[in-house]
Amino acid sequence: MSSEGATDIGPGTEADVALDPGHGSEEAETRAPDPEDGADVSRRRWPRVLGALLTVALIATGGALYAEGRQLRDTPATANLALTDAEATTRVTGDVSSALSKVFSYGPGATATTRAAATEVLAGKALQQYATLFGQVERQSADQKLTLTTEVVRAGVTRLTDDSAHLLVFLDQVYERRGRAPTTASAQLTVVAELREGRWWIVEIGST
Amino acid sequence: MTPRTRHLGGWAVLLVAALVCNLGAWSYGQARGDRSLSYAKARDTALAEGERHLATLNSLDGESAQRVDDGLRAWLDSSTGPLHDELERTRKEEAKSLTAAGDTARGKVTSAALTALDERTGTAELIATVDVEVTPRTGAPGTQRKRFGATLARTADGWKVKALTAIGTGGGR
Repeated sequence: MSSEGATDIGPGTEADVALDPGHGSEEAETRAPDPEDGADVSRRRWPRVLGALLTVALIATGGALYAEGRQLRDTPATANLALTDAEATTRVTGDVSSALSKVFSYGPGATATTRAAATEVLAGKALQQYATLFGQVERQSADQKLTLTTEVVRAGVTRLTDDSAHLLVFLDQVYERRGRAPTTASAQLTVVAELREGRWWIVEIGST
Repeated sequence: MTPRTRHLGGWAVLLVAALVCNLGAWSYGQARGDRSLSYAKARDTALAEGERHLATLNSLDGESAQRVDDGLRAWLDSSTGPLHDELERTRKEEAKSLTAAGDTARGKVTSAALTALDERTGTAELIATVDVEVTPRTGAPGTQRKRFGATLARTADGWKVKALTAIGTGGGR
């Protein structure tokens, strides 16, 4: 919308009347800025100013909203899938619970079964810890006719990602020695599990 | 540049700006309306506040009547619903017996996890192991390891303990 451009369109348009070369050329030189002329220029300028302001405002608002949204999203909370992914939470809780009751239950004649089961649910550090522990247990169990039954009472997932999980597990363990009344002990463990080949493996067992 | 293209250029810039604004608003709206995001945040808040309240409910300074009173008030602040009512009801007796005993307990949550969270009703289930260090008025201090199941409820003042059960052996279910 330059002034020379405007003349091209011709005197037919309202805005160009003042710039009509017919009577404008000498007057424009002699006269001080015409108030009417000034008003006309600003009238043509304000849509542009308004447009620019609007553009800036729109971009600023968009940017601010985007940043705010990012901030809402970028919290450690979202990285942890515990409970938010209900299915995965239930699954890892179930897998770990059944694994724990399996590896911590044995009878005098069946320690080999338990040992075999352990290699299918434990891995890494947990398997090493278990092997050390279970050597003693096997001897004891044979000597004292000891039976241990472990039951998971409560289990909760504290941290869950696509392939790793941290759990808190409450256990009740019933010891039975032949000829004596069974005794119950409670235990609580923190467990680290990893998803390998579509199955949850216990890789670390700690006490709380 | 002809005025027409300049004119159109101006509109195009404005249009792009409007799109940028729209995109930002959409992204923000998505984040705000993201159910799993608000759920994850509620989970973390409930767990953190639940742990804090559980530590409080396992702590009491029995040195003087005043301190016992403060401790009991803290218990009331950490509880809501049935547990709150019960603590309120037994407060006088408790104050008397706890002051007489003069033991001091300090609870520390060693591990905790939420086992359930219903954001709609504002309730959550929490399990936790708590080490309670008890210092009797006379005698040596000792540490008890306890495990708890707690029901949390969301109140105007954050998550509070609605019910608390010690999960002893065999008494889990």
